[in-house]
Amino acid sequence: MSRSGPRAVRAAVAVGSAAVLLAACGGGGQQDAASGGDWKPTKPIEYVAPAGTGGGWDTLARTTARVLDESNLVDRPLRVVNKPGAGGAIGWSYVAKHQKDPHKLFVTSPPILLVPLAGASGQTYEDFTPIARLNSEPLAYVVKANSPYKTFGDLAKKLKASPKDVSVAGGSGPGSLDHVGLAGAVQAAGADASKVKYVPFDGGGEALTSLLGGHADAAVAGASEVQPLVRSGDLRVLAVSSKERSPILPETPSLTETGVDYAFDIWRGVMAPKDLSESQIAYYEKAYAEMVKQDSWKKASEKLGWTDAFMGSKEFGTFLDEQNKEYSEVLTSVGLKK
Amino acid sequence: MDAFSHLMGGFGVALSPQNLLFVFLGVLIGTVIGMLPGLGPISAISLMIPVAFTMDPVSAIIMLSGVYYGAIFGGSTSSILLNAPGVAGTVATSFDGYPLARKGQAGKALSIAAIASFIGGTVGVIGLMLVAPSLSSLTVSFGPAEYFALMVLGLTAVVSLSGGNVTKGLISGTVGVMIALVGIDSQTSVLRFTFGHEELYEGVEFLIVALGVFALAEVFAMLTRRGQGAQTGAISSLRLNKREVKEISGPTGRGSVLGFFVGVLPGAGATVASFLSYSLEKRLAKDGKTFGKGNIKGVAAPESANNSAAVGSFVPLMTLGVPGSGTTAVLLGALLVLGVQPGPLLMTEQPDMFWGVVASMYIGNVVLLILNLPLIPLFAKVLKTPQALLLPLVVVFCVVGVYGQSFSTFDLWLLIGFGVLGFLMRANDFPAAPLILGVILGGLMEKSMRQALLISSGDLSTFVTKPISAVLLALAAVSLLAPVFGQLRRRRRGRALPQDDGAGQDDPDEQGAKVDANVTRP
Amino acid sequence: MHHFRFTQRKLAVALGILAVAYTVQAYRIPEFTAVETPVQPGSLPRVLGLVLFVLSVALFFQKPKAKEESGPVPKPKPEPVSVSELVSKPEPPGGGPVGQQSAPPIGRFSDTRLELAALLAAIGLYAALFVPLGFVLSTALFVSGLAWHLGYRRHAVNALVGAGTALGLYFVMSEGLEVALPMGLLPF
Repeated sequence: MSRSGPRAVRAAVAVGSAAVLLAACGGGGQQDAASGGDWKPTKPIEYVAPAGTGGGWDTLARTTARVLDESNLVDRPLRVVNKPGAGGAIGWSYVAKHQKDPHKLFVTSPPILLVPLAGASGQTYEDFTPIARLNSEPLAYVVKANSPYKTFGDLAKKLKASPKDVSVAGGSGPGSLDHVGLAGAVQAAGADASKVKYVPFDGGGEALTSLLGGHADAAVAGASEVQPLVRSGDLRVLAVSSKERSPILPETPSLTETGVDYAFDIWRGVMAPKDLSESQIAYYEKAYAEMVKQDSWKKASEKLGWTDAFMGSKEFGTFLDEQNKEYSEVLTSVGLKK
Repeated sequence: MDAFSHLMGGFGVALSPQNLLFVFLGVLIGTVIGMLPGLGPISAISLMIPVAFTMDPVSAIIMLSGVYYGAIFGGSTSSILLNAPGVAGTVATSFDGYPLARKGQAGKALSIAAIASFIGGTVGVIGLMLVAPSLSSLTVSFGPAEYFALMVLGLTAVVSLSGGNVTKGLISGTVGVMIALVGIDSQTSVLRFTFGHEELYEGVEFLIVALGVFALAEVFAMLTRRGQGAQTGAISSLRLNKREVKEISGPTGRGSVLGFFVGVLPGAGATVASFLSYSLEKRLAKDGKTFGKGNIKGVAAPESANNSAAVGSFVPLMTLGVPGSGTTAVLLGALLVLGVQPGPLLMTEQPDMFWGVVASMYIGNVVLLILNLPLIPLFAKVLKTPQALLLPLVVVFCVVGVYGQSFSTFDLWLLIGFGVLGFLMRANDFPAAPLILGVILGGLMEKSMRQALLISSGDLSTFVTKPISAVLLALAAVSLLAPVFGQLRRRRRGRALPQDDGAGQDDPDEQGAKVDANVTRP
Repeated sequence: MHHFRFTQRKLAVALGILAVAYTVQAYRIPEFTAVETPVQPGSLPRVLGLVLFVLSVALFFQKPKAKEESGPVPKPKPEPVSVSELVSKPEPPGGGPVGQQSAPPIGRFSDTRLELAALLAAIGLYAALFVPLGFVLSTALFVSGLAWHLGYRRHAVNALVGAGTALGLYFVMSEGLEVALPMGLLPF
């Protein structure tokens, strides 16, 4: 797939959007025709969460579907469908089979880049149309409260000097979220990321349990996951991975503040099949842009520890290109890129 | 006592008319969803989450936990009636539940399941109430090495589940572990035995194997029996006599306690608990050889264990804020949206929440029992359906169960494949239970072994220098050797032992644990 | 069921071949060198392959139990132990009901193998048509068709049960519980 492929086609399709406009003049919802076309969904929208029920993607899909429906921002209901498997690849390969189908959406986050980079997916992010980025959350590097490591620098120093003596637990497989966030930071701090003993667990919960029991020496997990245990004094956060401090852990310095030039965010967003028309993209982009302004969305985000980080379709596309390059470098340096 | 006054406060919360209604609704919906094919507690809770979001947090969590244990409770129904375990935790229940149903005692099997579940659930709640805070240290004391030892202990049950031919049992178990290793390796992301199929990347879903080798294989067997041997008589009678009550009290009690402690460990959960408890009782029982042929203890033990484990899994959730199972992960997500942050501070910051939930669980368990006992005769009547009609319906049950989890046609083909495999295994006297055990424990065993060795940098002594792991491995060794010693002892005593020949003699169904005909042979 | 019983030796050979094939596959799992890993992804599979091979050899030389002696037993004596009863069931449906049962035997073909093949084909067809036809149509056809084939005579009830199960499950799962079953040809 050539890099410019999807976008070039998208521009071409935009020319034909007048036809779509005519075809979709059904009942007049409260939707106005401001941004570039009048396409409206004509049947329920299949909203794919490429994971089982209960995970981050599922929560995102169900929360956004609820807010969009409740606030009447979409003309047809969103039906959440779970397509778990292969770190998301099953879900998005299903969506990929429905090119040009404007009634399919899926929720996404860094694995859409990481899984293909590791060679475990038939599609890449370029096989889909970015709709919007919604929010982001940093990773947190944590140790037990009684650990000798007080700063991220302490940990990095130890990892540099004797990597065999430190094990770091994470909630995803090697080459995925937690590992890349760790490897990138360790690399930036001057240690050899490929020597780090990264122990993969099934999810952040198990990783943190093993840290609490003293089985691992440090752990990396989502900021919202570690927050209760930090507040109770069981764990200490060395740093968060975002450029700025996280509102969930306001006391914790960011990596940049501790002198490590690296940033990593778990961003979450929405994508659609390839080759949607401009007006179809605009319809969904606008719906999500409105959604993040809703009170019920803000309330849910706050409780789930999500920080709004909205980006429209174009901006999200550019962002994905940049992220892909960055991840690719980290994975190459750890030797995991296929 | 502090806990007592808290608990009274909790009952105050749980007994408000509104919350009482939500407990009732929760367990009712949970039971119904739990009975549907393939829909376990995870789906049940996810489905109720949108409703819960509109409620106040305490009522919401009371309802959601009701849905949770209600679904576990309901899951045993299809295991017993159709040999089709809807959720992993009830697979062991089908080993004796289904033979009982085929002997015309479906009503009895269901009511034992209900009573054992009730007791398991209640014991679990007592445990949660009394020792939850101190148990969080047990939860975290289990690292990879300890899990590995626990899984090895679990796998030794292959021997006791093998029945007549230990070699065949071991072969089944080995193949089970092989099935468990299919997919993306969680430790290295390397693909294993996927043969280019994306659908296999995430491994073979446990439910597909269980529905295939149990339910679908039974459908094939039903056809070869030409529909003969269907149950007759008072299938809907719930009656237990005094002797039976006495018989199941031990297994139920032990199952409840064992289940709770296993449930407290993240990742182990109801399924492991039910298998451990089943094989423990099979070993302890004097009539252990009738296990798998319709022994009521074989229903009571796993059912009490899986319900108790379900409650036990609330310990890490409530005290650490980390989910111990897929189900509690969903529950955690819901709690967060509701603005409740479980964790070490929950009991001090929101005692209403903790004690309200505990109290509602007592009530919920009572409601479950009252709700379900009268319905049992109705469920049991399913078996009166003419076999020509029942047979396609069981197939639909399996197909919906599998498809509803993965939405993939590929998995339907896998299901059929496992059905054929299960049938061939039966025809050739290969027990299916060790296969399932291998599938459940194999992946966990390998994963924790590799995590432990990664942490120890490849040093194998980590398994014996850690006390818990050493004890568990010693237990595993004992449980492997015990049957050998037992056999020797029995030989020495001659055949003075009473022969247990009542229960399973005329039962053709050999799935699950089969009698070793050699045990008493001189 | 006795058509599907094989001698212990045949089974052992089959398992041995499986074990060898599995082990070969296990050795083709790539070594993982990028990050520290004391245990390779292929390590346990190799051990399992070996274990299965040893077990199949053990099975080959194991003295079969009395009832398993000569593999396919045409008419084994009824025995108390488990599977034998399955085997001793009267195979031809014409043999008539045995024991307390009064219901007519299910199925149409006198050869059980044929009957099983038909069932397998029916289930296969159901799986194949599940998505293209949709849940409701494929399920209704499967239930009613198979029940009719197996000899269920109350045709009205049969059609009703087939359609009812299909529609009922569809609405409970898809509408009520949001477990989206395939819609297929029908508009809902």
